[in-house]
Amino acid sequence: MKRFKLVLGIIAFLTILTTGLSYAGGFDKANKDQQQTEVVNDDLESVREGAKQGVQKFFSYTGFANASWGNMIMMIVGLVFIYLAIKYDYEPLLLIPIGTGIIIGNVPFFQDGGMNLQIGIYQEGSVLNYLYYGVVKGIYPPLIFLGIGAMTDFSSLISNPRLMLLGAAAQVGIFITFLGSLFLGFNLPEAASIGIIGGADGPTAIFLSSKLANGGLVNGVQTANLIGPIAIAAYSYMALVPVIQPPIMRLLTSKKERTIRMTPPRSVSKLEKIMFPIVGLLLTTFIAPSALPLLGMLFFGNILKESGVTRRLADTARTSLIDIVVILLGLTVGASTQADVFLTSESMMIFGLGAISFMIATAGGILFAKFMNLFLKGDKKINPLVGAAGVSAVPDSARVVQQEGLKYDPTNHLLMHAMAPNVSGVIGSAVAAGILISFLF
Amino acid sequence: MIATPENFSEGLVITLVGYSIVFSALVTLFFVFNSLSKVLNTKIRNRLRKEGKHEIADLPNIDVTGEETAAVAMALYLMTDVHDEESGVITIKRDSKTYSPWSSKIYGLRRFSR
Repeated sequence: MKRFKLVLGIIAFLTILTTGLSYAGGFDKANKDQQQTEVVNDDLESVREGAKQGVQKFFSYTGFANASWGNMIMMIVGLVFIYLAIKYDYEPLLLIPIGTGIIIGNVPFFQDGGMNLQIGIYQEGSVLNYLYYGVVKGIYPPLIFLGIGAMTDFSSLISNPRLMLLGAAAQVGIFITFLGSLFLGFNLPEAASIGIIGGADGPTAIFLSSKLANGGLVNGVQTANLIGPIAIAAYSYMALVPVIQPPIMRLLTSKKERTIRMTPPRSVSKLEKIMFPIVGLLLTTFIAPSALPLLGMLFFGNILKESGVTRRLADTARTSLIDIVVILLGLTVGASTQADVFLTSESMMIFGLGAISFMIATAGGILFAKFMNLFLKGDKKINPLVGAAGVSAVPDSARVVQQEGLKYDPTNHLLMHAMAPNVSGVIGSAVAAGILISFLF
Repeated sequence: MIATPENFSEGLVITLVGYSIVFSALVTLFFVFNSLSKVLNTKIRNRLRKEGKHEIADLPNIDVTGEETAAVAMALYLMTDVHDEESGVITIKRDSKTYSPWSSKIYGLRRFSR
């Protein structure tokens, strides 16, 4: 230690000595030659000027100089997302990454004249841009589906297969919104991507829009890049399921209907549970091969779960893997809302259409349950509230049905029944996405 | 901002065909799994008949509900896990400890009487 101090001391002494000597030397020289002094003065002036320019340049590169109202508005939106997640517990696993992503994506930076500093999500070569590839190329959604497959128990659906039809009925929201979007002036691929918001399935919406509304040429039609607004709309409405669905449920059902008791689901054998993903995979992908990336991964995840011999793989798929993908997806989808790209009249229209789409889907499920009740008798009748779970927001929508059911009969638990249309809604919206891709791609 | 007629008619076709395909996909799944459970039930009934359990095999519904499964599981749990090898004799054991200066009262700080 002593030696170390000694060495440091010597270095410090020598440094001071050399600096002092050179300054003294300079001083002597200045005294000797006045012309040289002027040169030095000129140098000082230019240094001052340079420093001033440097500071100005630094300022022009800061967020303060480049901030726009759009950035500020989007940051407030991001903060609202974070607030909703923490205060009201609305889908915190999605809203926190998306909310933070919105803030990150809207920190203003210098990009005059299309200068690429490799900062923003839309600037080629930036880290965020690389992470965003998973969204743009549709990589993240199938991975999320793998996790969903590995955590979903299809037994309620297998025990009462007729509830599957409710999941199909709720997909009406997708197609009606598709037509609505055409009326508002969107072209076919864009309209299909907007319609899928009614499927209430974030990954499916991202997957479809990455194929059909990615800013490139789709089937000879120039499309706008709508991935950001569509993803944000889909996830926002998924988080707002407890707010959007109950009024529609109350509006379309009578008090008596809401208290209908359904027979408890039967126990499902292991054979049926293993057969479901295999048969489901073959049937649905033969009908809509374009949905293969989504449905293939969904049913693959479910086989991992139900086979009973790949527990480790299933555990990874439903925990670590899906968590990693949700983090990356949420963050980049949030960051893709960079104000100059995101704040457009089209985005606002997408938000409006998305809300309508969601409402139609909910209504479609409920009304179809009522329609089915016309043909069902006795204890086979379906509580129409369960129809609202036909939108594929798993498991939020089923949870909302359970809570609504309990309000009118505290002993009537609808959760298990609602899970059936809920998971069939996931299959239905993925099939719908596949069909739209095969029609329009 | 109004859709061109050709655009809209194409959209209408996609809507009608697309929605019917989605519906038919799930209806097919419904039929497959509806009949699968019936096939499996028939196999179980046949096995029960072979084993001579005709009264169970001829019941209109041989499905076991989740509630029944839960009740059986609970009963098994109570029977096997909770009261397995107990003597049934309840006694109060006298608690005795060997002397240790660590817990001795005479070395305590508050041993002085007022």
